[in-house]
Amino acid sequence: MADQKPILKADDLSKRYEDGVLAVDHLNLNIYPGEVYCLLGANGAGKTTTINLFLNFIPPTTGTCFINGIDVTKDPLEAKKYIAFVSENVMLYGNFTARQNLDFFAKLGGKTALDKDDYYRVMRRVSLQEKAFDQRVKNFSKGMRQKLGIAIAVIKDAPGILLDEPTSGLDPKAATEFLEIMAELKNEGKAILMSTHDIFRAKEIGDRVGIMREGRLVMEQTREELQHEDLNKIYIDYMKSAEQAT
Amino acid sequence: MTGTIARKEILSNLLSYKFYVVILLAAALVATSFFVMTRDYKERLADYGLIRPKPGEPIAVNPPNPLSIFAKGLDEAMARSFEVGPTGISVRAGQKSGNTVFAFFPTPDFLYIVRVVLSLIALLFGFDQVSREKEAGTLRQMLANQTSRSAILIGKWAGNFLSLAVPFLLVTTLGTAVLGLDPDIRFSADQVLRLALILVLTLVYIAVFLSLGILVSTLTRRASSSVVILLFIWAVLVFILPNLGTLVARQMVDVPSVRALSEKRQQVWTREVLLRIRGVGDWPSHIKTISAENDALEADYRVKFDRLVKLSKNINRISPVAGFVYAATEIAGTGIGEEGAFKSEVVRYKNAVLGKRLASPDLKSSDYPAFLYRYRPLGRVLTRGALFDTAWLAVCGILFFALSYFVFVRYDVR
Repeated sequence: MADQKPILKADDLSKRYEDGVLAVDHLNLNIYPGEVYCLLGANGAGKTTTINLFLNFIPPTTGTCFINGIDVTKDPLEAKKYIAFVSENVMLYGNFTARQNLDFFAKLGGKTALDKDDYYRVMRRVSLQEKAFDQRVKNFSKGMRQKLGIAIAVIKDAPGILLDEPTSGLDPKAATEFLEIMAELKNEGKAILMSTHDIFRAKEIGDRVGIMREGRLVMEQTREELQHEDLNKIYIDYMKSAEQAT
Repeated sequence: MTGTIARKEILSNLLSYKFYVVILLAAALVATSFFVMTRDYKERLADYGLIRPKPGEPIAVNPPNPLSIFAKGLDEAMARSFEVGPTGISVRAGQKSGNTVFAFFPTPDFLYIVRVVLSLIALLFGFDQVSREKEAGTLRQMLANQTSRSAILIGKWAGNFLSLAVPFLLVTTLGTAVLGLDPDIRFSADQVLRLALILVLTLVYIAVFLSLGILVSTLTRRASSSVVILLFIWAVLVFILPNLGTLVARQMVDVPSVRALSEKRQQVWTREVLLRIRGVGDWPSHIKTISAENDALEADYRVKFDRLVKLSKNINRISPVAGFVYAATEIAGTGIGEEGAFKSEVVRYKNAVLGKRLASPDLKSSDYPAFLYRYRPLGRVLTRGALFDTAWLAVCGILFFALSYFVFVRYDVR
């Protein structure tokens, strides 16, 4: 991968909030095409802040985020062309149908020439039930919303995908379906950054897994390195050592 | 992007039952206003038919203005009967609407509906535009794309403005077309143009309040906070400031009461009569003196009153509501400026009548000229203040929108 250009890159990235909390502390990260990077950590470890920095929702205190080589702070609109985002609770317009939501966000993502069939095809791909295509989203379960969120990410066809705890609150079947789609996207060459609490699924899907603690990336291991390791134990050990330190 | 967001806003409104409730309410109010005000206008028109002076009678009466259906303003004051007596003008009641309920409630003309109800509706369209999306999380979803914040704000503004303006214009145009079918109501081409300008002004007014709603929405994190703040601002702008300005101006400018003026006139009259009884001068010279002194008293009163009105207007202009009312009534020909021009015309008429009387004391009543008031041309109305008030309204709207943009680019979407 070293010869490839990273799609997502954090270069000495730090974020200190106005209340003095250092949420991200000198983070360096490179995520390449066809790679899934899982970011583990307790609440407040800095995972979501990292994603917010990539999305330019907040400015970094120091360092830079790059998406497809573009500095997010300097040219956020150009950088966001190359990124799709799925949040923990995919928020959509309840009064709109699934197709209307998909149409709106696809257009915001720059896909203006799509038709009904394109939307149906993507919704089938993410395993959304056919009968839900033209139903109002306000009646959707969390799993269905999450699938529609992935459909929005898929239809944008961006080389990078940011996932903020996407399997949180999903039942095992929905979570498994979700990971299957992620695997497909990875095989298509997407660079995926997924923040999660789900250690088992992180090990299952992640090409690399990093553990964040108090804003710092305290551990990073590849799939191969983790193959014979107990990720759960590693994670718990890191968390315990953090508690002891405080 | 702006078009996509504007379309989304329109679709979102069309799918919301709240939209239909609000639009139905506006339509019902506009229809009710047209119905009530048409009845009022017709009653005053019938009244005018009764009090209209016979040929040669030295009485100045102006027929009611059909545009008073939309903006009644001072039309009732302008439609009084001004009878030229031996020494001056005596004002009689004119075309009073027969509906005494109007005395208890504000006149429910189109201007009132727009000023009070439509401003509130525009705020309701704007109050949660940013805060609701922030609460729902959809703002994050939108901004995760290559969508600029300016595109979001302009799209939201445009979508909501169209959602409000189009049904409103449809309802008003339909109502006006129905009014046009009434044989008693005749609009001249000039009045149709004036009406079109009032509608344009109304759209600017809606835009101001929509921008204000969006501004407060960008300043708050929760839609519930936004609505409370906006209700307070709305009450201040619509009810408190326009009345406060008048009170403040009253404290700053000393204007004699109408009663004091009347007493001074009486004193002049008594003095001249006593002089005549003592055999000083002849009647025509006394009448000339009475008329001249009355005119001087009136002119002095008018100068002070105009100063008060000007100051009140300028203080009231802090609220865009006042600017809207001033511009709309002036364009309709029922405003303060038009009333002033009308009164000057009445004084000119009185002087003409008295001049004739003094020149030939044996004049027959049928020889007096007829009073005919021509409304000021639209161009003059616009340059004498209506354009300024419209521009001020537009500046308020642009200012509110610019501020909301300034706040929104720094808005924390997390």
